[in-house]
Amino acid sequence: MKTIILEDLPLITLVGPPNSGKTTLFNYLSGQNYKTVNYPGATVEYSISKIQKKFNFNANILDSPGIISLIPNSPDEKVSVDSLYSHPMYGVPDLVIATVDASQLSRHLLLVRQLIESEFNVVISLTMTDILQRKGYEISSTLLGQKLGCAVVVIDGRTGSGVEELIRTVEKNIEKTKLSEKKNPIVRDTNLDVKYLLSSFKEIESIEKEVITLTNKSDKNINLKKANKQLLVLNETIPSANQLDQPTLKIDRILLHKVWGLVVFFLIMAATFTSIFWLAQPIMELVDSGFGFLSYEAINILGNTWYGNLIANGIISGTGAVLVFVPQILILFLILGLLEDTGYLARGAMLIDKPLSKIGLNGRSFVPMLSGFACAIPAILSTRTIPNKRERLLTIFIIPLMSCSARLPVYALLLAFLFPADKAWIAGLVLAGIYVLSILSSVSIAGIVNKFKNKIINAEDRSSFILELPAYRKPKFSMVLSNSYHSAKLYFKKAGPIILVLSTIMWFLTYFPDYNPKVDTQNLTKDQAVELQSSVRLEHSYASDLGKFIQPVMSPIGMDWRVGVSLISAFAAREVFVSSLAMIFKVTDDKATLQSSMLREMRKATIEGTGQRLFTPATIAGLIVFFIFALQCVSTLAVSRKETGSWRMPAIQFFMFTILAYVFTFITVNGLRILGVP
Amino acid sequence: MKTAAELKFGESGIIGDIDASHPSSRRILEVGFTPGQEIQLVNVSAFNDPLAFSVRGTIIAIRKNEASCIKLI
Repeated sequence: MKTIILEDLPLITLVGPPNSGKTTLFNYLSGQNYKTVNYPGATVEYSISKIQKKFNFNANILDSPGIISLIPNSPDEKVSVDSLYSHPMYGVPDLVIATVDASQLSRHLLLVRQLIESEFNVVISLTMTDILQRKGYEISSTLLGQKLGCAVVVIDGRTGSGVEELIRTVEKNIEKTKLSEKKNPIVRDTNLDVKYLLSSFKEIESIEKEVITLTNKSDKNINLKKANKQLLVLNETIPSANQLDQPTLKIDRILLHKVWGLVVFFLIMAATFTSIFWLAQPIMELVDSGFGFLSYEAINILGNTWYGNLIANGIISGTGAVLVFVPQILILFLILGLLEDTGYLARGAMLIDKPLSKIGLNGRSFVPMLSGFACAIPAILSTRTIPNKRERLLTIFIIPLMSCSARLPVYALLLAFLFPADKAWIAGLVLAGIYVLSILSSVSIAGIVNKFKNKIINAEDRSSFILELPAYRKPKFSMVLSNSYHSAKLYFKKAGPIILVLSTIMWFLTYFPDYNPKVDTQNLTKDQAVELQSSVRLEHSYASDLGKFIQPVMSPIGMDWRVGVSLISAFAAREVFVSSLAMIFKVTDDKATLQSSMLREMRKATIEGTGQRLFTPATIAGLIVFFIFALQCVSTLAVSRKETGSWRMPAIQFFMFTILAYVFTFITVNGLRILGVP
Repeated sequence: MKTAAELKFGESGIIGDIDASHPSSRRILEVGFTPGQEIQLVNVSAFNDPLAFSVRGTIIAIRKNEASCIKLI
């Protein structure tokens, strides 16, 4: 997150309640060219950028999670409030742009008032005035500015009009304040006071009544209809501009319905996970065969030398192993982004709040758990939106059990081994089963841990679920696309180097000591000779020496040291398992895709000494079970440590999930064998 | 006194008071549930909890338990 930003540039911080058009404004100002940890589901860290060149104003702009008041209620809100008072890297902002939804004026002005009273230098960006107009009302931004004592600029979120004016206003404002001493904002305890809150709302309501007026210009028919409706809900305390979005209410009748709501929920979830598999498959195959070809060509050009092998088997295959699952991650982020943008994620959270609360979780655990299917790291970060500490810790605890996308290449390979390509649909079904199993196991583990915890910790249960259900809207595809791209890029940057380094280490371990065996090549074809030679080489490699240590642990679950070495390397990142197997079962002697030649080699592999086949339906099923439970991801452990504040949580996660994985694998492999499965 | 948790589907009521002893009371006030506001129970989640109320032109979902601290006139 360290970005080099010139110190003398003014710092502008964007604040606003959730759903107030804050992110849209940030994208306009930054030109979507920002450094961020911005995951679908929640902006949990700040994003920082320079204001786009075209606006001709040199300043840094900082975006952070939405807040509704200066008293934080959850860890993500704390990030925002802390960064307002004094950002750890950038200090106190020179100016604060507060986004306010004109159709939500009385709610959104609460934060603005608190900001002004804490003596921040505030400029208001007023959004969604078009929605107000459609309801037949108009708002006087100048009057609002006068009442509040700060500049107000109207912004159209869809066209971006008004952004230029906002920048000029901000520029003027900063020029003016430069002359005076920079003031430090005041931390006010009075915000806590209920009486204070109520009097704030009273004042805001009186301001609202003055600045929002009925328009005469709007369509008479609409006005008549509105007037009729107003008669029904007429109440002096509610300005009638506060009408709900009627289509939203109608859609919610279905989407939150006792039966249909749940049916749609499960359909959406099922569609999400199947599309990860089906949509990504062709692109993945393309990437896979592309790297297979490159690797083959590299060996052809460089010859069968150590450097040729390093480039072909170490670097190219390693990179391929990373890139091959980028399509899946991108698709999952894309779907999550679309679901969030339409407003559905909030409904999903509401729907499953009740069942989740039974096992000690919260409706707000829904988005982190869902993100866990992409990657545990952003998922753990996004638990910051859960205010209750116990629920947040429990959510973090079970997130590693969510079937993250790094497991997909592993499952893809193992399922491809079990089911021939012409029966890919069975593999798809089994994959769906794996997802269901991962959800079931995480839910039951959460339930068990929750019961257990209740006995140990008599923590005060302040569980809470308060969530705004935003009006449904058409998602802005370009923005979702750009956010997914950012997320995928970030993920790639983080996981990429680990995978590359480990592939190279694996290559080194399997290639050295550079032993050139003399093998009897009589009566053998050229291909067979090469294979025999490489298998003898492997037996004398460092990897083999290392593997001898693990053999006693691997034997009970029907596997040998080669799988053991791959499993160990997979603790750095799960997908490394595939590239490690690829290193061990040399697969560059062929123009076919990496996977098909690898599968061929795997089918031939036997356990040393016994001559028993290494990969059988029983051991493959065992491996799948192992990957469902085991926490093989160093980055997840590191994030878990960072977010929970101690090594306790990651240590428990690591040992519990790994032991569970081993035990269940043992049961699966031996159980299947007893049942007569080879 | 009737609370927001006892409203029927589609029923409206005017907030009289918020029970300040409830741990979520401050947040409930902050999102806009203040005395004098008219609220309506616009939706109920599939498992009868949480409840969705219209308040100040938006929809806020809160748990039944939390709705019970909103006292109606």
